[in-house]
Amino acid sequence: MSTRRPLRIALPKGRMMDETLALFERVGTTIDPDVRDSRRLILPSTDGRFEFLPVKSIDVPVYVEEGVADAGVVGLDVLLERDADVLRPLDLRFGPCGLAVAAPVDAPYPFLPGGQTPRVATKYVESARRFFAGKGMQVELIHISGSVEIAPLLGLSHWIVDLVQTGRTLAENGLVVVDEVGRSTARLIVNRASHKLRLEEHQRLIASLAGALEASAATGAVS
Amino acid sequence: MPTTKIATVPPGSQDLVAGDVRRRRRVQHAWFDLAERGGYQEVIPPTFEYEEVFTRGAGPGLAARLIRFVDRDGRLVALRADFTSAIARLVGSRLAGAEMPLRLCYAGKVYRQEPEGGGRRRELFQLGAELIGDGGAEADVEVLRLAIRVLKALRIPDFQLNLGDIGFIRPLLAGLDPDGADALRVAIDRKDRAALADGARTLGAPAAVARALVELPELIGRGEVLNRARSLASSPDAEEAIERLKAIDGMLTAEEREHVVYDLGEIRGLGYYTGIQFEVFVAGVGRAVGFGGRYDGLLGLYGAERPAVGFALQTDDLAELLPEADA
Repeated sequence: MSTRRPLRIALPKGRMMDETLALFERVGTTIDPDVRDSRRLILPSTDGRFEFLPVKSIDVPVYVEEGVADAGVVGLDVLLERDADVLRPLDLRFGPCGLAVAAPVDAPYPFLPGGQTPRVATKYVESARRFFAGKGMQVELIHISGSVEIAPLLGLSHWIVDLVQTGRTLAENGLVVVDEVGRSTARLIVNRASHKLRLEEHQRLIASLAGALEASAATGAVS
Repeated sequence: MPTTKIATVPPGSQDLVAGDVRRRRRVQHAWFDLAERGGYQEVIPPTFEYEEVFTRGAGPGLAARLIRFVDRDGRLVALRADFTSAIARLVGSRLAGAEMPLRLCYAGKVYRQEPEGGGRRRELFQLGAELIGDGGAEADVEVLRLAIRVLKALRIPDFQLNLGDIGFIRPLLAGLDPDGADALRVAIDRKDRAALADGARTLGAPAAVARALVELPELIGRGEVLNRARSLASSPDAEEAIERLKAIDGMLTAEEREHVVYDLGEIRGLGYYTGIQFEVFVAGVGRAVGFGGRYDGLLGLYGAERPAVGFALQTDDLAELLPEADA
């Protein structure tokens, strides 16, 4: 059973991918820079143990749940939005952000005058639904796929639910955070069947990444 | 001439023709051939039943996925979502007086709702068996052996059965407040070691329980893992579960043992299984192609207090795995 392909790891394109590859470098796995800069769909590691599959972050759980990738790295925010039946053995601690409710400065929250039903624009419909249901608040959710922060300006919604890293984008659009939905960091996720069938490889990967995270926590290094 | 186009089939359903049919028939023939030689009689439960048949035993996961409709008299009816529930109902009613142990087998479709856009079928072929009225380890072995035999008969390459016993995990969650137990269940299911350690700490679990909880994700391996599990057993029930698995291991042949991996960290069957539980995995397939175990509490829900052990395999997955020459 050792002749199979390398463990395939789905990564979200962008900053989280850079941080993941930096973490893998600390445990001795690198990608040839030429390969990295190429437009190849699958990037093999030089040690032959892994191949990395860069995809859109919201799609990472799909690839892993279906077993097309053996493992993946994705933000908890995405996992909560697209609840996938996968193992979640490790919090990788990077990529921190918060999902929050934001409203125009001075706008009323959590009640609108006259008992009006609030309209909330978001990319994160599932997370928002769970959050407001948990608070017993009745809202109308509007699913949009980008530039959420201009929805209140344009009169599409009263509030938004969106990711907040620094709050700068919000401020530029005259919005402030009025409630916290949840905090998120990157997670390692693993396909259930692959974990059973390639147990030792997965255990080795999880242990080495956990070790690297602990080492950097101990020295106070910022990953 | 009418030119209206006939609609295609609904998402999640499909026509099967040619090789797709032949491969499924071949799987079913091999199955019934083996099962009947083992003394298992085929049953064909109805395609639709009163929905309570499925909500009673199968738990909220399946209950949320029933395909339901309202019958002429206003009662709710559901398409068969699970053979085991239907067979439990049958054993509790028409077969209530049958001589035990009862060996039953089946092959056919189950129907389940799936979210749109997930690419999942809403009708699946399954095959399987139930051995009812025998609570012994020999019965566990008979069922495991039957599952291994059919996979071998079909020449499925590289398959493995991950075998555990829910009796090992159940005591670890006993006596916890419901919210705490829930959080731990999720952490066990996701093999989230940090959350397990946190959970054990915040819930004030005794040291032995905390140690077993954190080790759970690693309690996977060949026979030697049973010894490790034995040393972690936190209660007489847990010890009994390990002794049972050791007894089973002792009854398996060397050839059968090659396909068995002991896996004590799996919690998916909690609330359904009462003893052994297993899942079947095949190299290259991203999800389990079969599952089974002992469910001594289930038949009682249908009025027949009987021990039972059984399994089901995903016929479609097996059909797609058949070697080319067999198709």
